[in-house]
Amino acid sequence: MKIARNIAVTRYADYNCAVKYLVEAGLEANYILPPPLTKRTAEIGAKYSPDFVCTPFKTTLGSMIEALEAGADTIIMTYGVCRLGYYGELQEQILRDLGYDFDFINLEEYSTGRKRDYLKAIRRLNPKCNLAKLSIAALEAVKMVEYVDEITGEYYKNCGFDPSGEYKRAYQQFLTAMYTAGAKAEISEAYRQVKRQFQQIPLEKPQRPLRVGVLGEFYTAMDPFSNLETEQKLADMGVEVHRWMNVTNRTLHYSGEKNLNVKIRDLCTYEMGPTSTATIWCAKEYAERGFDGLIHIKSANCTPEIDVMPVLQNISADYKIPVLYLTFDSQSSDVGLMTRLEAFYDMIQMRKKVV
Amino acid sequence: MKNTDKKSLVIGLPRALLFYRYETLWRGFFQELGAQVVVSAPTDRKIMEEGSALAVDETCLSAKIFFGHVKSLVGRCDYILVPRISSTGFRRTMCSRFQGLYDQTRNVFRSSGQKFLAYNLDVQQEASRKMTMYELGRLVGLSSEDHAPEEKDEKTAFLEMGESLGFSHRAIKRAYKRAKRAELRQRRAAAAETEQLYKAEGIKILIAAHSYLIEDAYIGKAVMDFLKKSDVTGIRADLVDREEAIRRSRELSPTCKWEVSREILGSIAMHRDKVDGIILLSAFPCGPDSMVNELLARKVKGVPMLNLIMDGQSGTAGVETRLESFIDIIRFKEGSL
Repeated sequence: MKIARNIAVTRYADYNCAVKYLVEAGLEANYILPPPLTKRTAEIGAKYSPDFVCTPFKTTLGSMIEALEAGADTIIMTYGVCRLGYYGELQEQILRDLGYDFDFINLEEYSTGRKRDYLKAIRRLNPKCNLAKLSIAALEAVKMVEYVDEITGEYYKNCGFDPSGEYKRAYQQFLTAMYTAGAKAEISEAYRQVKRQFQQIPLEKPQRPLRVGVLGEFYTAMDPFSNLETEQKLADMGVEVHRWMNVTNRTLHYSGEKNLNVKIRDLCTYEMGPTSTATIWCAKEYAERGFDGLIHIKSANCTPEIDVMPVLQNISADYKIPVLYLTFDSQSSDVGLMTRLEAFYDMIQMRKKVV
Repeated sequence: MKNTDKKSLVIGLPRALLFYRYETLWRGFFQELGAQVVVSAPTDRKIMEEGSALAVDETCLSAKIFFGHVKSLVGRCDYILVPRISSTGFRRTMCSRFQGLYDQTRNVFRSSGQKFLAYNLDVQQEASRKMTMYELGRLVGLSSEDHAPEEKDEKTAFLEMGESLGFSHRAIKRAYKRAKRAELRQRRAAAAETEQLYKAEGIKILIAAHSYLIEDAYIGKAVMDFLKKSDVTGIRADLVDREEAIRRSRELSPTCKWEVSREILGSIAMHRDKVDGIILLSAFPCGPDSMVNELLARKVKGVPMLNLIMDGQSGTAGVETRLESFIDIIRFKEGSL
């Protein structure tokens, strides 16, 4: 009898807990959690990647190598609408050229437009997979993603106003619980607990705090390692940080390109790229709600997010809202980022006093 | 929006990006409708610099050049054509830059008051539904392969564009039909002519580049000129029987989805044994090329390959040195040096 696979999916913000749950409870295989992203991940990824590919390619390649080192024998790579859809094929080629021996499930190959082709991928992962069990696990994993997004959103809005550090501890405990959860009851219990804790911790929040909206690319804006913890840094300065862009809003509950476009008709007629509509819509929404500033985060060479920058510039001019454009490559020092964030903070704070 | 005085309608075509792919179709279509077509002048230093000043720093060189061309047309025509081309079918998409180009241009030139004209080609959105239809059709014994989906959807897109200008349905249909026929004829002729070059004597080098790069007077022309000067036959990979190239691209890359990249990949698969070297020519930092060229370098072995990335350099000396040494290597390998 064949032993169960050791499956890995590259690190991606805090969503690996849901993948882990899906693999263990749904596919009944072992899940290998790749080590947290570090400077080393970025370095080995960049070393074997082509020069001017977008940065998530390099980070995920590094994470794949670390997963193989950690004992994975099967790697799953997602499909995608931009260059992401081509990541899998090239990354597999690079890893094979390096000499690694593993099984690669490139979901792009199975994205043929026929939904049932995904079944083939599932059968390949586990021929005896119980589809009923998998469906239930998938629903629970989706719930987990929703919880993680909701709690993460709440965390960055408030953590800057808690001098005790309890808020951060509660958040981290919640994430740990998500990574160790083995059943539905554990997931909902951890969620309830963190909600209770968040409500009980006293916050020293001014009546009208500085509010900054974070927008940008699907990977870099959401992954704290890739954006050098921009959100945490901002929050620590005493800012209420909002970010609409996450898997829940952009994928699970996405209201669709047409519905979002209604509001941004004057700026943009067509869909400009995978997350462009969302980014533009979100920027306008924050501007209308009177936010103090916007931060646009993208990885170096991200075509769709580069293309929306002229639109954001127009929003900035129309609503008189400052926008800080940040591009992240595989840099390891955050000193430059800190300087820019501090200057941005000073500027929006002075504006708030004047305006 | 009824256009009463159709004779005065002036359409501007920026000589950049997809112009080189669709010139015959666009020119033909608007001329058939009785409009006047203005094309911007070939790229020069001024156009490139003005475009770079308008564009976001991180945009690719070709898009920067494009904005320079648009700027040179602003105020000289009623509309500037900037189509939004997203996909022409399943796994036949364009780089996402072309998806956003119309809206990006509109936003960059918002204060100029210039009007822009677009047609929207986006077949992939419908792709999954269509795949099912094809399958069902095959099950009951129907063959839908005779209908090229590309043409049908392009026609609809042109109809919508023409109607927005106030032309009659019939006139647009006729104009599109004639322009499309001319385009196909021109495309076939170019492919056949290029196919002859593979039989030429002497050293032959295949140049894998987007048409807007290799045909650009300021960027790609230097490469072609130098090859000619060195008695080497430079053959463009993109001038090829597109449908066959799209099929053959699978040999090198099963999941590549960019239509233009697939044509080039397929062309390399078809001709790699007939040439002495391959030049991968791309603009900095071209999204699809950044990955496809890496894959090519890893998969196509046994043919000398030169990866040439063009940025906005003002001199050609650097490029010429690299080409010269590449040609020397080929000659040395063949024992003629």
